[in-house]
Amino acid sequence: MTLSTKAKESIKTALAMAISYGIALAMDWDNPYWAGFAVAFISLASVGQSLNKAALRMSGTLLAIVASLTLVALFAQDRWAFMLGLSLVTGICCYMMSGKKHQYFWQATGFITVIICMDAGPDPVNAFQTAMLRAEETGLGILVYTLVAFFLWPTSSRTGFDAAVAKLASLHQQLYRACFALACGQGDEQDVSQLKAQTVKAKASFDQLLNAALTDSYEIWESRDAWRQYQSKVTELMELISRWQVSIAEAKGLDLQRLMPELKTFDAEIDGRLMLIDQKLAGHYPERSLQGVELSYDIDGVRGLGHFDRAAFAVLRAHMQNLERLTRALFDAVGSIKGFNKAATPAEALRKPKEAFLPDLDRLANTCRFLVILWVAFLALIYVGDIPGGAGFVTMCGALGIALVNMPQIPVSMLFKPAAASISFAGIIYIFIMPQLSSFFGLGLLLFIVTFAICYLFAAPQQGLSRALGLALFVTVASISNQQTYSFLSVATTALMFPLLFLLLTVTVYFPFDLRPEQVSLRLLSRFFRSSEYLISTTGWDAPQAATHLECWRKAFHVCEIATLPAKLETWLPHINTGILSDTSPAQLQELVSSMQSLTYRMQQLLEERDNPQAQFLLEELQEDFRSWRLGIQGSFQNLSRTPIIEEWQGMCAQLEGFTERLERRIRERLDRASERQLTEQDAINFYLLLGACQGVSEALVNYAGSANVIDWVGWREERF
Amino acid sequence: MPHEFAIGGVYLPPLLIASILGVLATLVTVRLLNRYRLSKYFYYPPLVFVALMVIYSVLFGTFVIRG
Repeated sequence: MTLSTKAKESIKTALAMAISYGIALAMDWDNPYWAGFAVAFISLASVGQSLNKAALRMSGTLLAIVASLTLVALFAQDRWAFMLGLSLVTGICCYMMSGKKHQYFWQATGFITVIICMDAGPDPVNAFQTAMLRAEETGLGILVYTLVAFFLWPTSSRTGFDAAVAKLASLHQQLYRACFALACGQGDEQDVSQLKAQTVKAKASFDQLLNAALTDSYEIWESRDAWRQYQSKVTELMELISRWQVSIAEAKGLDLQRLMPELKTFDAEIDGRLMLIDQKLAGHYPERSLQGVELSYDIDGVRGLGHFDRAAFAVLRAHMQNLERLTRALFDAVGSIKGFNKAATPAEALRKPKEAFLPDLDRLANTCRFLVILWVAFLALIYVGDIPGGAGFVTMCGALGIALVNMPQIPVSMLFKPAAASISFAGIIYIFIMPQLSSFFGLGLLLFIVTFAICYLFAAPQQGLSRALGLALFVTVASISNQQTYSFLSVATTALMFPLLFLLLTVTVYFPFDLRPEQVSLRLLSRFFRSSEYLISTTGWDAPQAATHLECWRKAFHVCEIATLPAKLETWLPHINTGILSDTSPAQLQELVSSMQSLTYRMQQLLEERDNPQAQFLLEELQEDFRSWRLGIQGSFQNLSRTPIIEEWQGMCAQLEGFTERLERRIRERLDRASERQLTEQDAINFYLLLGACQGVSEALVNYAGSANVIDWVGWREERF
Repeated sequence: MPHEFAIGGVYLPPLLIASILGVLATLVTVRLLNRYRLSKYFYYPPLVFVALMVIYSVLFGTFVIRG
């Protein structure tokens, strides 16, 4: 009989849990459940993933010990200063844990600081001992789980990582083919969207497994710089393909085959490159070297196009040229990974310029929510007599609150069932089974069976919340120690803390920020258009350019806002109650986000092209027209930041169409008069790229207005329970 | 006089039972108000939720629990 992976993983966690408790009890340590917690939360699918998480938890514990002992040393006699210090530390952790790097490290630092401070604060004489005990027991849990995972059915993440790399490379090729077919007028946009969604998922899995493989595979660790470079190139490639797809829609009516005679060669080369990358990743030496494709164009053919078509063509061609450059870089990066081209110096390529700190408003809001929870719990502890759990209530609010506020989309009601079921299950074991045990053999067996059952029943990733709550509450309610006592009151107290915590979480859905999905979505939309309005105001030649550090920082902040807001909005959409808002369908919402994303790409393109040098005579001549276009778009963005729809949508479309015609006429008149010397080829390319970017913004705005106008926003604005 | 509820030897205060019933009744009421889009007539529904909870709890405490 062979055991399933799920059963093997559950056995490993259960065995580590029983051994950790056994050692902690044999050493006569207080709170042996801290070792159990460490085992419960670091157990993941492979040794590498578990080791990564274990390292983050251990380093988080050490930082938390330093922070909490410092707070106790400085403010042992002043509870308000102590609480302010604790708020500062945990606030920073809460903000950082939703960042891009080391999320679990910050989470562990945050909640362990609260735990140690609440244990040691009221008893400063034993603060050092409490902190050391926490470190010892976390270390014990980590050590035991690591040894069990190494010796019992060791699972390296290498196999999974290789499969994820191969899948990602194959999806890139499929996505490229689908987009190219779309450019040739043969593909289906639905297919491209599906492939894009699959690629995003595969990339997320690749990112996660790369970190794990770096830990448990020496080969991967050896070429870590090259892998990081490959990772960053893959991110760039995905963004470039998305931008290319958007520009394809704009150049739809053009006969690309005629305009770019090398199109077929380009397709064969890029497709071949992606295939070679795939082969190289599988360890095969490339059969051929790369060929350069210049992607020259038919000058007469392009001259026969209207100016806006030329602009659309210029943007499309620029994206394809970037694709050529990026696939070459990707090919080289893979060569460095596999050791085919020694000359590459990926470490240098990874060095990025230092970026300024750009605050994320949503992460700040989450931090405020966490601090409100922490402070209300602390004030309740001081001013409400006999609050269930006492200091333990503040600890629980800190530990669970820091995790839950960073998932604001999850409704509080979703936590009721797992929490109630976990407490009932743990309570039954504690009251009816544990008193019957008389030796560690029985207790160890019980720990093994319960841990195995929870891990086995809730093994799927989407059941993570139930698994975590089940294990944490079992360990807490059982409160195993060498001087074991049994009291119904301790179960009732733990159970009573949860309604209070849920009440706090529910109150903070409305205060300090309204976190109902409809209201958050409206706020995100408003912020998106406020940032767009600001950015478009900086694109004029008459507008003052960002000169001071503050202005540069402000522009960078808004660029970051428009780049991140569509993805943030997308995370809220599944939680919009389309049952109550019956006039809004999930497909309409998805369409809205897609149109926002495409507006983001066009805005980014416009900002990039705006910085390129332009022919002076064209600027002077067309400045007034560009200005009126910019003011029109700015006005629309301003309106959209107040209300998500454009009332006069048809009017706006007509206005933009009128502008396009007028500008085309003016450009024709002006360019007809221009001599060869006045307008070089590079000037023409820069000008058409800029014009294409402007046209792109107009079209994306019209598309957005089209998808926003079909949604019944009145229902979104209505007050609701 | 209000009397305590005994469940398997565990005594529960009448206010706790009245509050639980009050919360349940409020949840049903707000669900219906949302369903028929009547909640839009309230200026700030979260406060109305609290008010309904208090009113229901008092009503249950006065007329049902006292017996």
